[in-house]
Amino acid sequence: MTKSTKTIEFKFERTIPAPPGEVFDAWLNPKIPGNPWNAADKLLLNSKVDGFFYWTFKGTPHYGRFTEVERPARIQHTWMSPNTLGQESTVTVTFQKNGENTLMTLVHSDLPDDDKARSHEKGWNYFLNIFPEQFGNASRK
Amino acid sequence: MYGMNQLNNVLSAISHPTRRAIIGRLANGPARFLEIAKPFDTALNAVTKHLKSLERAGLIERKKQGREVFISFRGEPLREVAGWVHEYERFWHTHLDQFEQYFKDKKKKEKKR
Repeated sequence: MTKSTKTIEFKFERTIPAPPGEVFDAWLNPKIPGNPWNAADKLLLNSKVDGFFYWTFKGTPHYGRFTEVERPARIQHTWMSPNTLGQESTVTVTFQKNGENTLMTLVHSDLPDDDKARSHEKGWNYFLNIFPEQFGNASRK
Repeated sequence: MYGMNQLNNVLSAISHPTRRAIIGRLANGPARFLEIAKPFDTALNAVTKHLKSLERAGLIERKKQGREVFISFRGEPLREVAGWVHEYERFWHTHLDQFEQYFKDKKKKEKKR
């Protein structure tokens, strides 16, 4: 398979009102809302170095392998799904003490950047969800 | 090319529930200023500010018809923004918002005890 040379990276930061150890544990606990494992229809999760995960969300499979698990500071794993076009992308999450809070940084890198990955159709659905059916009517005018 | 400032203007414009409600109203067809302002329990100058934000993003336009000014919705900037939004950009934003909210709610409950 030919590898796409053009990749994209997304970085997100959140300040979480809890210490890093608690936030780290919550990120790996499928019972906590917001982490990627929580919404899975089917989940296999072994969050140790060289442990694998598999989960499906609305029928879309995701696979990966944990490459770094350093409590309470850092988690890194690979991430493959139809949206990575068969390529291995990388998710790195760091937890940094910030007073009583934790600065949490998530970087999703090595994502193929092309039209399929950008998923225009899904982008539209996103906006259509925000502005119910009237928006669809207006955009066709 | 669709500029980053314009992208920011559009995302900022649609980040407020009142402005989304205004777009929802205008998606049904053009309206006068007072018709737009009527459903909102807010000062008229606040509505004016919301309309300016939408106008800056290119999401509305004003057209004079005789003595009256009609405000109408433009969908094109949203179409452009949709092209910028990567599947995983949405995915992580949504999930991290939920994760952050979980801890905020937890902290609130702990304070009440």
